[in-house]
Amino acid sequence: MAEPRVVERFRKRTVWFHWIHTASFLVLLVTGAILFLPGLGGPAAGGLTRSIHRIAVIFFVGIPIVYFIFSPRMSLRFIKETLTWTRDDFRWITKAPDYYFGGDESKMFPQGHVNTGQKMWEFIVLFTGVLFAVSGFLMWFLKDTLSPGVFQWMVVVHDFAFVLAFLMLLVHIYTGSLHPRMTESLRSMWDGKISKHYARSHYGKWYDEISKESS
Amino acid sequence: MEISRKDFLKGAAGATGLLLLSPPAAAMAENSQTNEGKAMLIDVTKCVSCWWCYAACKDYNKLPETANPELEQPPALSSDVWTTLHPVKKGDQWISRKKACNHCTNAACVEVCPTGALSYNHMGFVQYDKEKCSGCGYCAEFCPFDVPQMENNSLTGVAIMNKCTFCHDRVTNGEPPACAAACTTGAITYGERTDLMTQSEARVADLRQSNIEASVYGLNEGGGLHVMYVLDDAPEVYDLPADPEVPAASTVRDIFKWVGSGLAIVALAGFGLNYLAARYRMRKGEK
Repeated sequence: MAEPRVVERFRKRTVWFHWIHTASFLVLLVTGAILFLPGLGGPAAGGLTRSIHRIAVIFFVGIPIVYFIFSPRMSLRFIKETLTWTRDDFRWITKAPDYYFGGDESKMFPQGHVNTGQKMWEFIVLFTGVLFAVSGFLMWFLKDTLSPGVFQWMVVVHDFAFVLAFLMLLVHIYTGSLHPRMTESLRSMWDGKISKHYARSHYGKWYDEISKESS
Repeated sequence: MEISRKDFLKGAAGATGLLLLSPPAAAMAENSQTNEGKAMLIDVTKCVSCWWCYAACKDYNKLPETANPELEQPPALSSDVWTTLHPVKKGDQWISRKKACNHCTNAACVEVCPTGALSYNHMGFVQYDKEKCSGCGYCAEFCPFDVPQMENNSLTGVAIMNKCTFCHDRVTNGEPPACAAACTTGAITYGERTDLMTQSEARVADLRQSNIEASVYGLNEGGGLHVMYVLDDAPEVYDLPADPEVPAASTVRDIFKWVGSGLAIVALAGFGLNYLAARYRMRKGEK
């Protein structure tokens, strides 16, 4: 029997989770941006986009909760992976500029299931997700009880999370799909699989682990 | 199943471009902000609390009737009440300050309005276009005078703002606002703001001979209000903040807009350079 040439990087449910979350975030992004950047305000008139924003947020907040209920261990592993930082991560940062500017691949330290840059993105997603959810909840449901000062700063917190998440999303989209070195990342987010070659060269430590487990 | 990398990227780039095409409004909106133009001067020492301004406002603006107003329980501003009185009992006498939008020269509501529904009219007042209102309520939360009022559905978030319009159509036709036209005691004077400033200072100089507390409010507050007040007491007594300012949060938001837009452009340019450099070096490395 021929050995499969691909390895599973993401489970099916994770792929679904990623794209539903992405879709809901993009809807929130667009319907929110038109309230943030006044030049785009036209479509917000009448308030329909504000209702769409509220519908999208049900998915944005709901999907992680559903995922957690069905896969608590994987969810916790994800959070642990995001928050665990070792010396290798700091080494990665020193090597990253050369690596991303097309330097010799072999000079990069072997990475685990995600590399440090991806870890930072995961952290931004968790961090801004909490900021979005808390400030948004307060502005939506406690509008009448909050003091004007608190409301004003909740708007600012929401804006801050937006700027941070939007900028980092640009980086995520670029490095995940367009960067000349990341040839299989987008595909892996589609069918969950990457080639063994890609796994070995991009996530060496992780590849060694799963190879040991299967043998 | 595979999606084409190219198609995905085209879509993503297009969406990003759309978002970036919008520099903060301050730079593009045609700004007719002025500390001159038309204004009203409210003299609390001449007000007899007859509520005619209140009634005239309701009548002219076709706002639903409410119960007869009482000094003990004055109606609060609401989407149906665009002007009211803030009565203060002094001895056995009531002194009232007419309360409505002050039409600031530097208006927090205009600064935070995301859709341009609120804007500066070249005649000096703060106008609003209900059609453009998204109901976000930022104006209500940022106004230092607590003037804009929201009709709110807290579940759907659908809301529409209401406030004094300075009787936009009357004023642009050369008539005074309905409240000023209705006032019979001279407590509301309508005219050129510069004239009213001189008038108010003369009046206060007069009052000061017997009352050291007398002052004008609105000469410089809020960049210069288009509804100014002759007061016989401290502003706070009449529910006017001593130092009304555009809240700091509004300025921070503006900074975020500029910094965020700037960084996004830098990032996109950086990706382009990075792509070319990385591809070049990787190809060279293969050879």
